[in-house]
Parts: sequence; C-alpha cells; structure tokens
Amino acid sequence: MKLSIINGSPRGKSSNTRIILEKIQEGFSSVDSTFELEEAYLKSEKDIARFRKMFETADILIIGFPLYTDAMPGIVKQLFEALDPKTIKKDLRLGFIVQSGFSESYHSEFIQSYLAKLSRRLGVEYIGTAIKGGVEGIKVQPKWMTKKYLSLFYDLGQQLALDWEFDENTMERLAQPKYLAGSRLMLTKFFIKTGLANFYWNSQLKENKAFNKRYAKPYSE
Amino acid sequence: MTITILNGNPDNGSSYFNSYITDLQSLLKLKGFAVRTFNLREMDIKSCTGCWGCWVKTPGECTIPDDSIEVRRAVINSDWLIFASPLIMGFTSALLKIMQDKIIPLVHPYIELVDNECHHIKRYDNYPKIGLIYGKEPDTDMEDIRIVTDIYKRMALNFKSELIFAESIEFEPEKLANEVIHH
Repeated sequence: MKLSIINGSPRGKSSNTRIILEKIQEGFSSVDSTFELEEAYLKSEKDIARFRKMFETADILIIGFPLYTDAMPGIVKQLFEALDPKTIKKDLRLGFIVQSGFSESYHSEFIQSYLAKLSRRLGVEYIGTAIKGGVEGIKVQPKWMTKKYLSLFYDLGQQLALDWEFDENTMERLAQPKYLAGSRLMLTKFFIKTGLANFYWNSQLKENKAFNKRYAKPYSE
Repeated sequence: MTITILNGNPDNGSSYFNSYITDLQSLLKLKGFAVRTFNLREMDIKSCTGCWGCWVKTPGECTIPDDSIEVRRAVINSDWLIFASPLIMGFTSALLKIMQDKIIPLVHPYIELVDNECHHIKRYDNYPKIGLIYGKEPDTDMEDIRIVTDIYKRMALNFKSELIFAESIEFEPEKLANEVIHH
C-alpha cells in the first residue's frame, strides 16, 4: 500500500505547507508503518511525468498548497492540466490541504468547491479538502499558537491511516475560525487600528531597508 | 478609456477562442477604447515563488525580472482588466493563473477589514474593473461556471475591484462590447 504526498507550494522545501504535510505524515506513520511513503515537491521537480505516475500508483494521495489569488498556485494548475482521467487509478483516494495567510478560512471555501468537482472529473474517491487559515508566519508564531493546530493535522493523519478518510470533525476544527466574529473580530480591529497587524510585514520591511518605500507605486503614470 | 486583455489560451493556432478575442478587441477599438491584448503564451512569465520580495524588499515590484512587469504596468493603468481563457480541467488555464499570481505586487501587504473579512489594502488609488471571458469544455456544466465565477469574484474583491461580468465565448462579442461600454 502506498501513501503519496505532493507539496504544491511554490516555496518548495521551505514552505509552510511542508510543516503541515509532515505532521499528517507523522500521524499516519504512527498508526500504520507498513505503508510505502512517497513525497514530491512540485517546485523542484521539472518532470511532470513523475506526478502523473503518483496518480496511477498511489492508494492514497494528498496534495497540499497555499491559497494564491483565491485559488491554486499556477504550478498546481499545471499539474491538474497534465492529468489524464483515463490513466488514473480508479479507486485512488484523493485529498487536499489548502492553507492561507488570512486568519479566517472562509477565503479557501471557494477553491474547496473546485477541488471536490475536480475529483469527480478525475473519477477518483474524494476524501475531502482540509482548509486552514492564519498559516503565514507559522515559523515566527509562538509554539503555543501553532501546537494546537499542528496536532490537529497529526490527528488528521492518524485518522487517515485508520479509515482512509479525512475525519469530518477534525476538518471542521481545523477550519475554525471560518469567519471573524465576536471577540476575535474585536481583537482584529484592535490589531489593525494600533498597527500591530502590520508588525510581521514591518519587521521584514525594516530588515530589508525598504520600510520608507513601503507605499511605493512603481507603475504610476 | 483603456482596456487590458490577458489572453491565457495556451493554443496558438487559429482557434475560435483567439479569433473571438481579436473580434472583441476590434469592436472595442471601434467604439473608442484603447485596447491592449497580451497573448501570454508568447511571453516569458516566471511563476511566483512566494518570496514576498514584492512586499518587503522592492515594494510594488516583483524581484524576478520577466515580461510580467509590462503586464502589471498596463493593468494598473487601465479602466478594465479582462481575463480570457478556455476552461481546462474546470478552471482557467495555468498560463493565465501563473500571470494572475503575479499581480500581487499591485496590492499592499497591510490588512484591512472589508465586511468583517481580512483583505489587503490598496497600493494604488484606482483599480480596473474586472471581466472574465471563458471557453467551455465539452463537459462544462452550470456547477463549473458557478465555481469559476465565484473564485473570480473573490479574486476581484482581494484586488480592490469587482467582477462585472463572466461570459462564455458563446456570448456575442458585439453584446459584450456594449456591456463594457455601458457599465
């Protein structure tokens, strides 16, 4: 039996997507270590044939990517276009992970609909799309913040090994918050008003000595 | 009034899709618009690498030099931005999406709330209205059209704009040109 994982992040090995996919894999392996594991990075692999092969040989295939302009990154669309439903393994179980920068996961619900439809078009067994917001900055977020949701991805991996499905309840928990409301909305408003929301960007702008140019309009005519 | 059309059709032949775009361009020009069409398949556009250089190193400009510079300049100085592509696997082409990913430098990394949702703030004062022209696949159904239209509506919202129309190339170019003029 084979579990294949495709990392569709344009950042490849230094991606936030990798941190999430590794958690799923860890969770999976902790339950079932008999599976053959294969992982591949869309960014670094020029040969699309390898990815097509994964659709033909895997029993479970997980594709993870960050949300780019409200959809899949261009390189992930390239992969989708290279697929031939006729050669794909008929009982392949296909699932997706979509992570985004904004804290609410609502932004990813639209690509979720696309991925469900794509799976039907490919004629595979769709096991779901787990969406998660607030992932940009995962490497600078304090451990207590990331620990909770990374352990949910670990759980998702464990349940995948047991049931060959993405657990609905875990996906629902990962998707929280879907919208900003209540105290979270108040806090976001406070962060924006005080400029704290821009801290992540400002520190990088300053590091690059580009802070004074942050409002540049290079194409203004 | 200026219009930028991004033709993301990967086929270079004399396909119906390309001639539709050419016809539409001629009609819009006849009606007094300055129209510029970028045939993306003929251009060198490198994929976004997610480096955020355009936000934190050279604000407003991508750090990878390629033909997308020209596209961004045209887009932000236009009244309309029209995305054009045949649907492939239920969505606009990878060719178009690769260019679309590279319009990110046109917005600012800072966040604001729009209807209680997080969105990026404007970098420029004005953003073009957005239209989408697509070609159907043999198996395209209403659900596919709804999915694609919804995603472009969301994209337009993040691009500080609005999706004004999403039409297939079955829609008469004359009618579409009128829609653009009268909006």
